[in-house]
Amino acid sequence: MNGKRQLILITIFLTLAMMSLSGSDQVPAAKQDHPIVLMGGVIHTVSGDIISGGEILFINGKITEVGATVSRPANVEVIDISGKTVYPGFILAESTLGLTEIGAVRATNDYREVGSINPNVRAKIAYNPDSEHIPVVRTNGIALAQVVPTGGLLSGTSAVMMLDGWTWEDTEMPGGGGVWMSWPNMVVRERRSGQRRPAEDDPKKAIREALENLDKTFDEAEAYHKAIKSGTGNQKTDLRLAGLIPVIEKKLPLYIRASHVSQIKAAVNWVNRRGYRMVLVGARDSWMVTDLLKANNIPVIISTTHSLPSRRWQPYDEAYTLPATLADAGITFALAPGWHPQVRNLPFEAGTAVGYGLDRDRAIRALTLDAATILGVGDKVGSLEPGKDATLIVVDGDPLEIRSAVVSLYIQGRHVDLNNHHRMMNEKYKQRYRQLGITD
Amino acid sequence: MRLRNRFRNFADQALPIFQLAVIAIGVIPGIQALNGQVRPTEGLHVNTPGVFALTGASIHTEPGKVISSGTIVIRDGLIESVGRSVRVPKDAVTIDLKGKTVYAGFIESVWETKAKEGDGGGHRGGRNGGGTADKKSVDEHWNARVLPAKSVLDGLELKEKDIKALNALGFTVAHVMPHAGVFRGNSALVHLAHWGPEAPIRSRVTQTMAFESSRWPDRHYPSSLLGAIALMRQTLLDARWYEKAWNIYGKNQRTNEQPEYNRDLESLAADISAKRPFLFSASDELAVLRAGNIAKEFKLRLWINGNGYEYRQLAAIKALGAFLIIPVNFPEAPKVATLEEELQVSYGQLRHWDQAPDNAQRLADASVRFALTSSQLKDRKEFRANLARAVERGLDKTKALAALTTTPASRFGLGQSHGKIAKGFVANLVVTDGDYFDKKTKVQAVWVAGKKVAVAPDPMEDFRGEWSVSLSADMGGKRELILKIKGEAAKPEGEVVLGEDKTIALENLSANRDAITWTLPADSLGGSGKWRFSGTQLFDAASGTGLASDGNRFSWTAIRTAPFSEDKKDEQGDKNGDKKKEKPPEKASNLRPLYPEGAYGRTGPPKQPAAILVKNATVWTMGKQGVIMGGDVLMVGGKISAVGKNLSIPRKSRGNAVVIDGTGKHVTPGLIDAHSHTAMASVNEGAEAVTSEVRIKDVTNSDDINIYRQLAGGLTMANGLHGSANPIGGQNAVIKLRWGLLPDKLIEPRAPQGIKFALGENVKQSNWGDDFVTRYPQTRMGVDQIVRDAFQAAKEYDANWTAYNKSSKRKKSEVPPRRDLELEALAEILSGQRIVHAHSYRQDEILSLIRIADDFNFTIATFTHVLEGYKVAAEIAKHGAGGSTFSDWWGYKFEVIDAIPFNGAIMARAGVVTSFNSDSGDLARRLNTEGAKAVRYGGLTDIEALAFVTINPAIQLKVDKFAGSLEKGKDADFVIWSGDPLSTYTRAEQTWIEGRKYFDLDEDQKMRAEIKSGRARLIQKILASSEASESSGAKQGKHK
Repeated sequence: MNGKRQLILITIFLTLAMMSLSGSDQVPAAKQDHPIVLMGGVIHTVSGDIISGGEILFINGKITEVGATVSRPANVEVIDISGKTVYPGFILAESTLGLTEIGAVRATNDYREVGSINPNVRAKIAYNPDSEHIPVVRTNGIALAQVVPTGGLLSGTSAVMMLDGWTWEDTEMPGGGGVWMSWPNMVVRERRSGQRRPAEDDPKKAIREALENLDKTFDEAEAYHKAIKSGTGNQKTDLRLAGLIPVIEKKLPLYIRASHVSQIKAAVNWVNRRGYRMVLVGARDSWMVTDLLKANNIPVIISTTHSLPSRRWQPYDEAYTLPATLADAGITFALAPGWHPQVRNLPFEAGTAVGYGLDRDRAIRALTLDAATILGVGDKVGSLEPGKDATLIVVDGDPLEIRSAVVSLYIQGRHVDLNNHHRMMNEKYKQRYRQLGITD
Repeated sequence: MRLRNRFRNFADQALPIFQLAVIAIGVIPGIQALNGQVRPTEGLHVNTPGVFALTGASIHTEPGKVISSGTIVIRDGLIESVGRSVRVPKDAVTIDLKGKTVYAGFIESVWETKAKEGDGGGHRGGRNGGGTADKKSVDEHWNARVLPAKSVLDGLELKEKDIKALNALGFTVAHVMPHAGVFRGNSALVHLAHWGPEAPIRSRVTQTMAFESSRWPDRHYPSSLLGAIALMRQTLLDARWYEKAWNIYGKNQRTNEQPEYNRDLESLAADISAKRPFLFSASDELAVLRAGNIAKEFKLRLWINGNGYEYRQLAAIKALGAFLIIPVNFPEAPKVATLEEELQVSYGQLRHWDQAPDNAQRLADASVRFALTSSQLKDRKEFRANLARAVERGLDKTKALAALTTTPASRFGLGQSHGKIAKGFVANLVVTDGDYFDKKTKVQAVWVAGKKVAVAPDPMEDFRGEWSVSLSADMGGKRELILKIKGEAAKPEGEVVLGEDKTIALENLSANRDAITWTLPADSLGGSGKWRFSGTQLFDAASGTGLASDGNRFSWTAIRTAPFSEDKKDEQGDKNGDKKKEKPPEKASNLRPLYPEGAYGRTGPPKQPAAILVKNATVWTMGKQGVIMGGDVLMVGGKISAVGKNLSIPRKSRGNAVVIDGTGKHVTPGLIDAHSHTAMASVNEGAEAVTSEVRIKDVTNSDDINIYRQLAGGLTMANGLHGSANPIGGQNAVIKLRWGLLPDKLIEPRAPQGIKFALGENVKQSNWGDDFVTRYPQTRMGVDQIVRDAFQAAKEYDANWTAYNKSSKRKKSEVPPRRDLELEALAEILSGQRIVHAHSYRQDEILSLIRIADDFNFTIATFTHVLEGYKVAAEIAKHGAGGSTFSDWWGYKFEVIDAIPFNGAIMARAGVVTSFNSDSGDLARRLNTEGAKAVRYGGLTDIEALAFVTINPAIQLKVDKFAGSLEKGKDADFVIWSGDPLSTYTRAEQTWIEGRKYFDLDEDQKMRAEIKSGRARLIQKILASSEASESSGAKQGKHK
């Protein structure tokens, strides 16, 4: 065990020593300007085999060859990663990354617009590429994140962002994301005897009205779509309704947040009636309706595996076992840890799921190819195969284990700086104790 | 009103008023009516005869004693005689009660009343910047919820409607209680008849107590259960001190300053001295035990206004020796008709539904004495139906009757005057038409102090039933009409029956003693316009006149051909073929209570084998032995006896030993969470900046399911901390996760007492919104000053006591210092008896608190959170404090902008004893992998990392003498892991505390199966019960 620890330490130290030369902040990596071969590692292609001691070649940001051996084009840089593993860069399926810096400081929050119907607001344009959170998150092997607005009934339109770049336009991965919706609460909560509900509350009425409002909004959007398509030019612009056109035209999915089984059932039924594409998000009770999800081919973003059971009498490992249950039912899913200070723990949530019955390969898929497919970018990222982006990580062990470390991250072949504010503060204050003579 | 009463009923006439309390002292031979009252007579004297003989009734003279046909003679409010063959006095009015049953008048043991509408009780006062609303009088207690001198009778006006509702259930006396406050004041006993000077029997019956606190956004102290209990304790101490202070002052006026006069403390001190009962309102079984703790500490006579959950903790509640007053508030059947509905219902709710109606029976079977109350019901009318259910399920009727009569009478000090039908007792009676515990039986009248109060309508006034009416005029060729009158006696409805399906509703129907009137649309009878009827009723006959639509007058007579029956509806149902099934009698629940009740509850503590031997495991000793591959751990009598290789069970323990094959497994000490809010019914007393008097141990909640869930993650000990709402928070409680045991058994007695401090944004209220800008402090500068100020005060307080205690002369002649729980706790910090866990983030505030501690000469035990600890690790280490941090939380508020996951490793390397904590019910289930983050971020070794969640938090909590490592002599707290405990793939398989297995994966699976089948059984029972069908039927009806 000690040998391994030392290796990590040396690696981290060397990485940091190198990075500290580049200044006080992380500089986005330059475009890949020469072919790179990683050799000697265990390559987890995800879409294909695991290749031990294999090689991977990428040129101009794209993977061109993966195999036991690959060609050596002119000007190639060959990096020996013997003893290490290679995986596609991990994908965070849902986050407010770049939209918030410090939750308690209102001025730093840009994820929730006022009002209930905001399909037209776009997360990507508020994405701050200089957020300190981004370098912190990618240090744990996360290369891409879906950036999502929250709140209201229709929260806005998400985007898939690469976690390195100068501007939001640089970092957006086209084709990803969708419109986010929170399915109305459908549960009348019983209170402990003795507690009475205020008389003015009529929860059933509130539920009915919310569902009516939902239908009304989409009826209007469908009518708007028809009017626009008719080409008469009579329809004046309505940005809110226009924001739903990609959903109506099935160009983007509706990401529907629903946790309670009655919400999930209602949402699936509603989507079937209207013919939209749907991704289920949250999905706490989804283990009760796996048949329904499978039959309708609905993918799921589970948020979050690290959480308490939703009901007192349910098993302690309800959330831990949910990924395994969905996997066994043949449902495609991705993971999202929820609370933004926790998102860097994405790979470890997958590890817990493996501990509670999920096949490890499925866990890796959930972090890579399955997430990419759900997010609409499966043709570009999520697996290591020719033609795909060279977005990958090199790890000194099993990335689902906390004690492993990511030693390299490439996004579209660009070698990304793995330094971050935390590592810099670590280095800074280690100096203090060296100066004081407390540590070496 | 009064005039009308006189003519209503002979027996109703007001009796002369008498002072019952005087009579209650002893039976006076010959009854002497106290005609003259204090109030001067206005006009003529009223001397109404008050002698009655009730004959022929079945008389329950007291629980278990029945005279099948006897006579009761009442004279001037008291029972003159009762018996089988009592001579009826010549001056008595005889009332024939043949076929009726008579009980002693019932006593309603709890009636919470408001003096006036809008009298919200105490919401004034406050301290330390809490702000003051209505100012109290100068001689009142500073806290608006401390009202012990208040009498419930002050300004009390009982409404006739409410009195009648209790009479209808058979109650003749009520124990009225004030409704607001923590110390709510004195209760009183009253007769339930006309509300006037004659109604009160006695005041100052109990001091009434409740765990009441202000609710957001009202932030007056107490704002939490924590604060309410602390306020109770401090006030009780103050009352004792007050009495002593005045005593000494009285004798030594020339050498002492006069203590403040305070009517509330004076009154409370008198209650304590007089051994008056303290009646606590307790909303669940744990609240009962909390009241018990206070009563025990202050040697109070404990009474409980209960809740219906008592059956859950029979033994512990019985051990309190308290008098219990329990409601019959059985829950409605949970809604389980659909999967979605069922999901909202917990196993505990289902089981409570099944067991709640047996609460009284289980108390009775356990020989706990209790009274029953009709309070806490949504509708008081449910009382009899629910009581009947309890009896049907097996509650002994004699005990039920005692709970309404003799038991409360004797507890309330009315044992010689009320509760029985006996010579010399007050003539309080219940007259029914049968067995009171049969819900079909009707209460017809009660007698209150010799005065009859009709409950069922007087037949003379009850017009309901079927009548045959003869008219002197032709109405569409008819001279005979059939009337059906139904509805409420006071508000009848009626119709004329023309044929099978044809009826005409009577309009403007009104029926009382003096007149019966209605109008009838004549057109459907072949006439025209409306015919108006008026007349009078005498029992089953009625007659009167009418006006036809043309103005012609006619006369009518009527005879009642059938009495009114409320069950008409059922008959109609039968006619429609909608036959109502005969409901089988209810049986008592066959469930055995679990604790905590509901899912994963236990029937008792796990067994402790004489010896446990874990063989051939990877043993992380967390002590000098390091990690032993293929190691054994031997535990005897709940303690670790040996750790090593090839150990064997001592011969004498072999008969009762458990051997665990550890092959492929890892064993670690039980994990310890140095910052937890699990198992706490209340977290923050945030109304004030300094609340060192509040104690988490007062609010420990053994019912928290997260205890079990955390056991499933290998946790065995947690430091239950007050929240971070104020610079000096409350006292902590270190618990072991002994799931299934009561709060007092969760608390670890060997752990030193501690306290929570907090610095930074939370205590400055920075993130509370714009309304919170006035409480001191609002800056870190102010935090520093308020902490210094508190310690200075504590130092002076301690010096004062020390000087006082040294001199026996001073003790005799000097008013003693007042015990101040807030300063006392702080003084304990200064003397090293209480350790500080300080919530902190930034380096500046960490340093400032270290300097305060230096200045006051004590050591901070741990800085908790301490996310910038890495910036001042040298100073923390030098001071000797520990650091208990989050592994990797950051970015959620401004003061964590520099929080880094390397914090733990840097602090540890700089010599700080460091731990990772959860501060989260969820995260506490994965502290093992939290530890692994010290390897990832900072490169500590695996052992150093696991120490962050085992031995290091043990050192921080100063429990490392008996916990935190697998070393000889320590508690057998350990976890069997499926693999390397720092791996994300690993599960806890077994968690043991003191050699008892509190979690086991296999047992967990069995419990899941039991929960599944148990839920299914109860749900089927609910669906099968007519209660469910009735309630859904009623619901449907409502929607129509």
